[in-house]
Amino acid sequence: MRSKTWCFNPTLFRKNLARFWPLWGGVSLVGSLAPLSLLVILFRERFEVSGLVPLDVTASLYWTLTTVVPVLSLVYAPLCALAVWHFLYGSRSVGCFHALPITRGSLFLTNTLSGLAMMLIPYAVTGLLAGLVALCTGLLDPAGFAVTILGVLGYSLFYYGSATAVIFVTGNPFAFAALYGIFHFLALAVEWLVCLLMSSFYYGVEYLYRKVLAFLSPTVFFLENVTIDSTYTTVLENHAGEVWEHSVLSSVQLVNGWVIAVYALAGAALLACAWLLYRRRRSECAGDVVAVEWMKPVFRYGCALCAAMAGGLGLYTLFWSSFEETLVSDTVPMALCMAFAGVLGFYIASMLLAKSLRIFRSTWKGALGTVIAAAALCFLAAADPLGMETWTPDAGNISSVYLRVHSNLYGNGLVIAEVSDPAAIARILALQEAIIDEREAFCRQNGDDRSSVSLIYYGPDGEELNRRYYSLSFPHSDLQRAGGQRAPDSGGAGDGPGDSGGQHLQQPGKGQPAGRPSVHPLLLRPGWPSGAGDPGAHHPGGPDPGGGHPAGYPGGSLRQNPLPAL
Amino acid sequence: MIQVQNITKRFDGFAALDGASLSVPAGSVYGLVGPNGAGKSTLIRCLTGVYRPEEGALSIDGQPVWENAALKSRVAAIADDWYYFPQASIRDMCRFYQGFYPGFSLERYEKLKEVFQLDEKRLLRRLSKGMQKQAAFWLTLSCMPDCLILDEPVDGLDPVMRRQVWSLILGDVAQRGVTVLVSSHNLRELEDVCDHVGILDHGKVLLERSLAQLQDNMVKLQVVFQDGGGVPEDLPVLHASRVGRIHTLIMRMNAGEAQARVASYQPLLADAVPLTLEEIFIYELGGADYAVKDMVL
Repeated sequence: MRSKTWCFNPTLFRKNLARFWPLWGGVSLVGSLAPLSLLVILFRERFEVSGLVPLDVTASLYWTLTTVVPVLSLVYAPLCALAVWHFLYGSRSVGCFHALPITRGSLFLTNTLSGLAMMLIPYAVTGLLAGLVALCTGLLDPAGFAVTILGVLGYSLFYYGSATAVIFVTGNPFAFAALYGIFHFLALAVEWLVCLLMSSFYYGVEYLYRKVLAFLSPTVFFLENVTIDSTYTTVLENHAGEVWEHSVLSSVQLVNGWVIAVYALAGAALLACAWLLYRRRRSECAGDVVAVEWMKPVFRYGCALCAAMAGGLGLYTLFWSSFEETLVSDTVPMALCMAFAGVLGFYIASMLLAKSLRIFRSTWKGALGTVIAAAALCFLAAADPLGMETWTPDAGNISSVYLRVHSNLYGNGLVIAEVSDPAAIARILALQEAIIDEREAFCRQNGDDRSSVSLIYYGPDGEELNRRYYSLSFPHSDLQRAGGQRAPDSGGAGDGPGDSGGQHLQQPGKGQPAGRPSVHPLLLRPGWPSGAGDPGAHHPGGPDPGGGHPAGYPGGSLRQNPLPAL
Repeated sequence: MIQVQNITKRFDGFAALDGASLSVPAGSVYGLVGPNGAGKSTLIRCLTGVYRPEEGALSIDGQPVWENAALKSRVAAIADDWYYFPQASIRDMCRFYQGFYPGFSLERYEKLKEVFQLDEKRLLRRLSKGMQKQAAFWLTLSCMPDCLILDEPVDGLDPVMRRQVWSLILGDVAQRGVTVLVSSHNLRELEDVCDHVGILDHGKVLLERSLAQLQDNMVKLQVVFQDGGGVPEDLPVLHASRVGRIHTLIMRMNAGEAQARVASYQPLLADAVPLTLEEIFIYELGGADYAVKDMVL
């Protein structure tokens, strides 16, 4: 008669907790220091706390929940998972455990509960002590505590589930640490690398990275989205005839707390995936870097791809960037660098998988494929299939624009403005389109004596679009005239809006529209450059707006009309 | 009791077990022998539920082994490299095994304390290899299994402890009908305890017989031919050697048959000598191209 698949084993549970008591005991001790020290202080003060309300304690709990718990759980969960499952990583230990009269289901259930217990005990100890302190001082807010407990449970379930799932992907503790980090941060890192690669080929495009894939890097997503919303009320108090004003916390809410619940469900799903992996796991894969057969090519080519992008960009910067003749990267040298770095990553991954250095003969086809793929990726990125280099936003979707014009032709002239007037926005869009139209010529100008235009478009929902165009040619006489109103030389003026360097009519904060049109006269001067006419129009061969031009001025329409009239 | 039918187990394409089949009768002591890399440990790990074979069937007492906790509670095994928790003492491991094996006998554990004479509170990692092996036997025998699977069990034990351990095991076989499968290279020792033998080579069971049948099936004849002649070519001889006029012939047949065949050549002397298990092993595997090679270095 077969035994039941799922059966909790108390011996194993007790053994796990007893063997690893230094882990959960140590964390419990560290976590309890704060409430204990507070308890000692309060005991000395005879538990008199004036000026504090229960909401203050709740705010502290929520702050801990949103800031400390995700980071702590990120680090602590893999330790708990490794403690109960490390036997899978040694041939002796896995032989012992799998020969015992216990099914894998029972092993999984018991070890999972052991690991979760190890994760939650420190939180429980710290929470109980904190609750005791709050109770003694009359500052206990049951609702706040309940929300915090649920949040901690949710985080713990997610992080422990993710750690357990990664445990079964590998057979090596060092590979587990690396794969756990990859699981939690790879998506954002790859997005950053792709954006870096693409922006290296596109003139003016510098800030593509938007953390679109942040939801795949949960810790970052938690820290940015699960926040606290505190409301303060101004209270007037009369003390001996004097009126004192101070702020009192009137409400504190956990914003986007539902995100924790969603990820807790994801954690449960990951535990289910972990079970499916364990059911099929071969005991003989102890020691392997990747224990799941179908994941080996994913690991191999994933390493190759990441190495191609990161290593390729690095090698290009080290060895080729000084030879660049344009402001954007050269495609062929970048492709070569990416191909070389990709092959290196491919071979390193192959060596790790085979646990041998002798893999060249058997993997040359994969290496060749990596070269082709890396080069194809490079050429694809350079071809700009999404049209990012030439894309301009729709005027109707722009609430304001931050414009910064910098020229080092004569000192460090700087013009900063933030506009929300639709007409001015339209003129700025036209400026951008004109710059884009002439981008090839601007790219070839890779010198110091040029101007730059930075644009930040703000959408109605707070989204931003950044562009920065270097090596532009402003007529220097216009800048001289504008220099009459110029602020003292600011040298290395900053880039951000509201920066006090350079010349600007106001210093609005981000997203704060100007009260009135405040574009610098340089940009609003009728007929500048002369004969420019309609916004965005090019007038090649038109009259010189005024004054000569610096040596090295590009030819064509730019000689006469470096920028369209606005 | 133990049935292995045509099992195959591969590691990265290499077949460690390639259609191996054997049968261990209940209450017997089965010696599994074979050269290095034959697949003995792999077979044992399949029998204990550690490895899952790709093909074939494994059963103990008519039940499949894989994921069968109820069956495994009656099976105890000692691996060639026994595992224990790094910070555990013998007492700690006793409590651990007690929680898994329902038949674990604390009374027996206490009695065996006098046999093994180890400090049960001492950390296992501080014991010598031989003492750790003794601890393994102490705990495993306390589990009161119906089936005992041993992989190189007496390696590291001194001669006295070896006899002691075998005495305990054979006592269990006699009193409780325990079935024992033991893998070892020490054929001289196995010869004293086994009543069945299986020879494994390159993942296959070459032959499997009771020890008596094995010894009956092969004979060593010491023959002196007339006129000091050599071995006749038509005699089916596995191996022949000569010292002076005495020829030592290894023949795959029983003693009577061998003597009858040799008698036709009217030898001056024809004496049948039983082979040791070691000799059977050597000459059987010599037929499988695994023989002692004469080399000049």
